Amino acid sequence: MAAEPNHNARSPRGERTQRRQLEDWAGGYSPMTGIPDEFMDSAGAVRPHWRKFMAGLSRIEPDEMAQRFAGADRRIREMGISYRVPGEAAERTWPLERLPLVISDDDWREISAGVEQRARLAEAFLGDVYGAGDLVSEGALPAAALTGSRDYLPAMRGIEPPGGKHLRFFACDIGRGPDGRWWVLEKRAQAPSGAGYALENRLVISGAFPQLYRDMNVERLAPFFRDFRDGLSSSAERTNPRICLLTPGPYSQTYFEQAYLARYLGFMLVEGDDLVVRDGIVFVRTIAGLKRADVLWRRVDADWCDPLEFNAASRIGVPGLMQAIRNKSVAVGNMPGAGLMESRALMGFAPAHCARLLDEDLRLPNIATWWCGQSDARRVVIERLDELVIASAFGDTLPALGGKRHVLGADLDGAQKRALIEAIESRGIDFVGQEVVRLSTMPVLRDGRLQPRPFSLRVFAAATPDGWRVMPGGFCRVSDAADARAISMEGEASSADVWIATDRPVEISTLLPARESVRVVRMMGNLPSRAADNLFWLGRYLERAEATARVVRCLAIRSVDLDAPGSGARAAVERLQKMLLSSGAAPADLAGAQAQVIAAIALTDGDQYGSVAANVGMARRAASVIRERLSQDATRLVSTLEDCVSRTHDSMGAALDAATRADEALGVMAALGGLVNENMNRVAGWSFLDMGRRIERAVNTCRFVRQFSERDATSEHLDVLLDLIDSQITYRSRYVVGPALAAVRDMAVLDPFNPRSVSFQIARVDEHLASLPNLRPDGMPEQPRRISIKLAAELATRDADELDPANALAIEQRIMGLAEAVTARYFLQGAGAARAEKPTGFA
Amino acid sequence: MIYDIRHITTYRYAAPVASAACVLRLLPRDEAGQTVLDSGLEISPRAAETHSSIDAFGNRVAQVRIDAPHRELRIAALSRISVNRAAAPAPGLTPAWEQIRSAAQVSRSLQPDSPAHFLYASRQVALNADATSWCGASFKPSRPMLEAAVELMGRIRRDFKYEKDATEVTTTVAEAFASRKGVCQDFAHVMIAGLRGLGLPAAYVSGYIRTIPPPGKPRLEGADASHAWVSVWCGPEFGWLGLDPTNDQMIGDDHVVVARGRDYADVSPVDGVFVGSGDHDLSVSVDVKPEG
Repeated sequence: MAAEPNHNARSPRGERTQRRQLEDWAGGYSPMTGIPDEFMDSAGAVRPHWRKFMAGLSRIEPDEMAQRFAGADRRIREMGISYRVPGEAAERTWPLERLPLVISDDDWREISAGVEQRARLAEAFLGDVYGAGDLVSEGALPAAALTGSRDYLPAMRGIEPPGGKHLRFFACDIGRGPDGRWWVLEKRAQAPSGAGYALENRLVISGAFPQLYRDMNVERLAPFFRDFRDGLSSSAERTNPRICLLTPGPYSQTYFEQAYLARYLGFMLVEGDDLVVRDGIVFVRTIAGLKRADVLWRRVDADWCDPLEFNAASRIGVPGLMQAIRNKSVAVGNMPGAGLMESRALMGFAPAHCARLLDEDLRLPNIATWWCGQSDARRVVIERLDELVIASAFGDTLPALGGKRHVLGADLDGAQKRALIEAIESRGIDFVGQEVVRLSTMPVLRDGRLQPRPFSLRVFAAATPDGWRVMPGGFCRVSDAADARAISMEGEASSADVWIATDRPVEISTLLPARESVRVVRMMGNLPSRAADNLFWLGRYLERAEATARVVRCLAIRSVDLDAPGSGARAAVERLQKMLLSSGAAPADLAGAQAQVIAAIALTDGDQYGSVAANVGMARRAASVIRERLSQDATRLVSTLEDCVSRTHDSMGAALDAATRADEALGVMAALGGLVNENMNRVAGWSFLDMGRRIERAVNTCRFVRQFSERDATSEHLDVLLDLIDSQITYRSRYVVGPALAAVRDMAVLDPFNPRSVSFQIARVDEHLASLPNLRPDGMPEQPRRISIKLAAELATRDADELDPANALAIEQRIMGLAEAVTARYFLQGAGAARAEKPTGFA
Repeated sequence: MIYDIRHITTYRYAAPVASAACVLRLLPRDEAGQTVLDSGLEISPRAAETHSSIDAFGNRVAQVRIDAPHRELRIAALSRISVNRAAAPAPGLTPAWEQIRSAAQVSRSLQPDSPAHFLYASRQVALNADATSWCGASFKPSRPMLEAAVELMGRIRRDFKYEKDATEVTTTVAEAFASRKGVCQDFAHVMIAGLRGLGLPAAYVSGYIRTIPPPGKPRLEGADASHAWVSVWCGPEFGWLGLDPTNDQMIGDDHVVVARGRDYADVSPVDGVFVGSGDHDLSVSVDVKPEG
């Protein structure tokens, strides 16, 4: 063991304690028989690079270790790392192993050369099958081994990929086979996921063990991403291309990763709706008009990426994208059709294709695979059924496999076996037979002890201007089952950071450009219309929730003592109730119910579309699709708000009354408002969020004014109005008398100094609109600004006396008109695309 | 035989539509047995962009974009076409169906007419064990391919009830097979699913069939409809042969092919994305007029 300086622990642990710890770890560790293990070789000796790692680890005191692990957990929560399991609405937090998978330099050279070769082979293969088609016409590949894949796209034949490559990003899932060599288990070419998670895992684990990380000379990840970005850039027609990451949206399983990578790499995160094709060119809709998109990093499956050519039901694609690809005006990584590489039917052909296309031997072996569409292979598989895994050739579930994607031949009873053989004989094209491979194991910490667990490692390769580059590290998935034949994050699996330990100092680099080459930029790029739309609505929902919470609070407080002498309290309370019922915050059939009941429902019942809870829910959904534009604090406050309005009991189990909860919710909303105002950069995104809030507040204030300041309004009514617009203190500081009609109306609507007045909101909206890009060639104001200027001028010259409910309604309607004009000008045209009905006139 | 064909599709919207992007597969293809003499599309409002091409299966496709706000979209496809098909081979001369299955599996072609494209489940044709075993009754060991397929076509005609409103465009093979009801599209999909289930290549064909008015009655304009049938691969020597299960007849000079694909989704006459909201109403009129 090399003696290393120790910078970690405050007091160095005694050599003897360290040695005992090491012996404990190694002594308690027993690899599974017959299965290769990363930590120990077959003779039971700890491998040298792990010995070095564990030695470093043993220097950390147990207490300190616990602290670091807690720190890592906190970091995961704070970064909001999450993923989604299909069918679940909520995202899950990230299960991350404490220990990284450490891989030696020697192993890594073999792996990285092997994955690089696989990437080249895949590119050459795709070039052939979508191009000349020699493999098929010369008999090296039956056509039916391609056409069964839903990612073999006949429409791609003859299309030369813009930028010259089908693949820009490629991955292999590998594991150590029984012979100790690394094997390729699967290939990923559609839209490989996991690289962003690998990056996150690295941040967390290197942060937990900074000294160890340096001492082990772990290869850095940043240079790989830099090269990948350069590769995408170089595929474009223009210099300084606009690169977009095309995401299926927030309900995708790996949306977190997509948003994270877009931010990390400086790409624009776009959904299909953000893009539009005109004359064979792809554009992004932004608030400054259509801007050309040069490169798309595609995370939408090919079948969904263009409803005009593939799945007509797709709502997440870009109509006309294929036309743009044929037109060579947009480079797409990976090209539609690349996903075909993933089918098992092709695996058995890889050695022959490698020799034929590259004139090389395959460096990393495949799992032996026989495609049953060929009669020889079919015979082998049927003869050896008991020893093989029978799997679907193209990834579908099959009835003959019991509705699954694969079965172990040995697990079938006589009747099942006969049925399977019959299916293979009639449609062998659907099946492959594969050797059974059990995954090798790596050490994980469980309750302070080291234990072996099966894992698979996803290794990424990126096309760069200088050929393929392999990411030094990867996305490692660890199964908690002892015998794992396949791992997915959907099951009980966790992930681990991957360290490539070298003997030499590593290149340190970040994605930040050299200091002297950075130009000062104050304005961000153009805001996509969809992001603007979501920010606007986030603002509106939050404000609507706030206004409703104020009505709830007012109702809950004022309904306590209704029969106090001489008060118009009952009439005011009835009106507050009516407001909640008519705005959909509580069901209409509750009309005769107790005020407290209505208040509680209007606050917490998410099923009532106008309730505080429903509006907060909508706000959270709007926030979740623009996650990359909001700070983590803001995202967290929105979640806190949601908890706060949905809770009905406090931590001691006592029922909470509506007034207390409304108070609490208003407190969180105030914090959120403050955060947005103090911390959010004053660019277009902020303008839209703030405009949403202001417009909604102006509309709600008009509604309150209509309800509580009629000509014969009682002082109780006016008092409620001051509560609802949060202007009690301002009013009292200005007027010594009780609420008077004209004074209250003025304060609510016209007073330019009251930050809750309608006129104040319109003035702010007008400022925002003035700061946004103008598309008119003649320089005249656009429609929204025309409305805001006129409205502001009118409010500035009005008298409070004129503000009867009819006038307030007229103002309210003009504000709604302003909101519509903003929508029409800056967001998508129309609510969404409707699909054509199919003609039904068939004979 | 020469036909003048007019196929008019009209969408009427309750609220104005801002823009539309459509794919049209309405113009008949040129292929062995039929020659397009003249054809064209008339679209109103006028398209801002039209792009015509031949798709992966050899069909004529037009992608159009309409930018003008509109409440009605009318697409008229007009064609003049000459049909003169070779007679179908004697069914008994075609190879045994098991040979067809083996030949398809080793096909070395990725051309539009390669049997390899038509072997697997597709977007609207899932393989279905019940349909496969029902169709399989016609495929006795070593029986000539076409003989078995013709018998199957006849059984569909006999056992399935033609019912116009029993199914929709999106009806699945399983539903149509279970109810034994439907229209030409359903019969074609069931037959294709059964053949593919047996490992045999089968394609979907859209087109028209000449309707003969009842004796003494004049031809009614616009009363015709789109039609669909099945094309079956009978090995490299005989190639693809058309079978119409709705009418229990081989494809002849009364049929006009518009497009071929793996199922309805590949050849659907009008597909599109409309930006707008509100309901719409669709009407289709087809007129197939023999010359003279």
